[in-house]
Amino acid sequence: MTWTGFVLRNLLRHPLRTALTTLSVALSIFLVCAVLTLPSALNALFERTSSKARISVHHEAGLTYWLPLSYVQRVKAIPGVAAVNQFSWFGGIYDEPKNMFPNFAIDPETVAGVWPDYGIAPEALERFRRIRNGALVGEETFRRFGWHVGQEVTLRGTVFPVDLSLQIVGVIPAATGNPVMLWFNRKYLEEAMAPRGGMRLVGMLWLRAERPEDVDGILRTVDTMFRNAEAEVTAETEQAFFASFLSSFQGLMRLILAVGVLVVGAVVLIAANTAAMGVRERIPEIAILKSLGFRRRPILGALLAESTLVGLVGGVLGAGAAYGILTALAAAGKTGGNNFLGPLSGFRMSPEVALQGVAVAVVVGFVSGAVPAWNGARLDVVAALRKLF
Amino acid sequence: MAVPLRYNVRNLLVRRWTSAFSAGGIALVVAATMLLAALVGGLQRILVAAGEPRNLVVMRKGATNDGSSQLPREAAQILRAMPGVAAAPDGTPLASAQLVNQPFIRVAGGGRENVLVRGVEPVAFQVHSRVRLVEGRSFRPNLGEIVVGTGAARRYGLRVGGVADFGRRQWTVVGIFDSGGTAFDSEIWAHVNDVQDDTRRQGYSAVRLTVAPGVDPTEVIRRIDRDGRFTLEAKPETVYYEEQAETANALYVLVLTLAVVMATGATFGALNTMYAAVANRTAEIGTLRALGFGRGAILLSFLAESVLLAAGGLVAGLGLSLAAMLAVNTLLRGVAFSMMTFSVATVLLEPTWAGVWLGVGFAAAIGIVGGLGPAWRAANLRVIEALHRA
Repeated sequence: MTWTGFVLRNLLRHPLRTALTTLSVALSIFLVCAVLTLPSALNALFERTSSKARISVHHEAGLTYWLPLSYVQRVKAIPGVAAVNQFSWFGGIYDEPKNMFPNFAIDPETVAGVWPDYGIAPEALERFRRIRNGALVGEETFRRFGWHVGQEVTLRGTVFPVDLSLQIVGVIPAATGNPVMLWFNRKYLEEAMAPRGGMRLVGMLWLRAERPEDVDGILRTVDTMFRNAEAEVTAETEQAFFASFLSSFQGLMRLILAVGVLVVGAVVLIAANTAAMGVRERIPEIAILKSLGFRRRPILGALLAESTLVGLVGGVLGAGAAYGILTALAAAGKTGGNNFLGPLSGFRMSPEVALQGVAVAVVVGFVSGAVPAWNGARLDVVAALRKLF
Repeated sequence: MAVPLRYNVRNLLVRRWTSAFSAGGIALVVAATMLLAALVGGLQRILVAAGEPRNLVVMRKGATNDGSSQLPREAAQILRAMPGVAAAPDGTPLASAQLVNQPFIRVAGGGRENVLVRGVEPVAFQVHSRVRLVEGRSFRPNLGEIVVGTGAARRYGLRVGGVADFGRRQWTVVGIFDSGGTAFDSEIWAHVNDVQDDTRRQGYSAVRLTVAPGVDPTEVIRRIDRDGRFTLEAKPETVYYEEQAETANALYVLVLTLAVVMATGATFGALNTMYAAVANRTAEIGTLRALGFGRGAILLSFLAESVLLAAGGLVAGLGLSLAAMLAVNTLLRGVAFSMMTFSVATVLLEPTWAGVWLGVGFAAAIGIVGGLGPAWRAANLRVIEALHRA
């Protein structure tokens, strides 16, 4: 009998027990993968949305403080700035209040200039420039409401006292990390606001540096340009902007990680228990093996291999199931549209999380087998055999 | 005759490591469930408790929260004069026009986040009857004075006499208020004039009003909805906060799914332990049967043993989760939540009965399901064969 055969035979000695342990490892790893998806989606989102060359300029006091429209021209004149665009929060409601998604008035002319990495179709951008009430919609929102290009939708204003009828002209791909927002032409909002005193403010500016190495210089120039101006600004890289925006999720993330640790702890106890039972029942056998001349190491190795194999199989089962189910849910659009998760609502499980899950499972298997296997391998042969006969 | 329970207790103690490990697994399941339920419970509590049944929230039609609503001054005037609005003893209508702003504020530990600043008139303290000053005094208009909720004071390190830096200016903290653990505790209140001045905004976000005693709130709601001059929408404050808490309901589904899956895993563990117990005690079971204990007695005895194990896990799990909650609440000062309004509210974890019952239910299920199969096997052992082992 080979060593591998020995390990496998031992595992199949109590098929029900091995199956139950493997399944409980699988269930735990399933959960670990599911809960780890959230922090990992957060990081992925963060990396995707963070262009090195993009800079956000907003009021120093917060995003609810708007800037004079003239800032657009002043920032555009800074050397090294390739293009400038702007976000003005419209806060419109589509159909029902709970259908909340971010919608911004922006400048159609410089979308490609500021977000060249977004991969928005050139025809869509062309329509966006041409059609006065055109709107670009994030892929998730687009699919959530089953919209189609050319459709007219009405956004009811809650911050602005106007309702806007918009024509969908194209899609912002989900891969940009901005899959839920809607962009429309600022000019259209200005026209609608004209009878009510017009609109001379802008929410915030986005600009792109021609080269990443220009970024620091531009940040300094913007800061000095508006020091002691009527509205002081903070200029920061897109990365810094999102980092502070997402930092409010940290408390929740910590709690989620704590729960993940509890889940792993529970399964270690369960698996260790099984491994210990296995060793205890086999004390006579181990004693005989040792008296036949088998050394500590192969015995220890066989026992460890047993529990590690259980961990590995359970991990693959659990991580595979989690990946399959979450991917299917995401494909069915079931994970989107949850306001609570905010920018994370479109989360997907990444293959890395699945691999991490399998790794955790292998460690769980190894750790749970370690102490029982050590005790088994250290067994005092004489005492054990005496008990037997 | 039933097998004495002491037999099971002794047995659990004899194989103490196995028992401890199985119970430990169950304990961690219970703890995780309780912890998540406490989070959801705390979140719902701070929101739901903030609403008062006699209060109405009046916003622009379609707005989901007062942070994304705008009302002109005239609308607030009309609402103050609306019949059915309660009045203070001095005759002031209990209609509190508010302007909600969400500026950046520095967090004590570094970094910035949005804080909810509510610009109000003094009448707000009468409309929101749970909000009361616990330290210092109320703000005076046009002086940049603020009163700070207890939660916000902790999170941003603010105290009476100190200054707070947000918006376009520095503010003086003149008081600390407490609202009995509701969402208001995470807010900063200032005079509405000051907030209008700071945000350069003319109107309000919303009006909160108290319905006069003896008047049906639905009557007032209908009157506001029918008013054609402004597109307004009124709803009871309790409904408003329930809607805000709806997002927490999605969390409940998450908690339940997680708990069910974990409990299933723990049940498998318990099954293993109990099957092993039965296998190790085959001879004993045979002896018991030979002594005259019936199948039913054996079945019950093993079931009881499994339930005892689960009960031990339950107690340990409750203790563990309470310790964890205490640690989160004191060391981390609660869990900071960014909600629909984008400003941060701090949720203190709080043991909920729902969580306790969930834990009890799962522990019971693990004990019974994990014990039933093994107990059945024990009860149906053939006595002669079992005794042969002895």
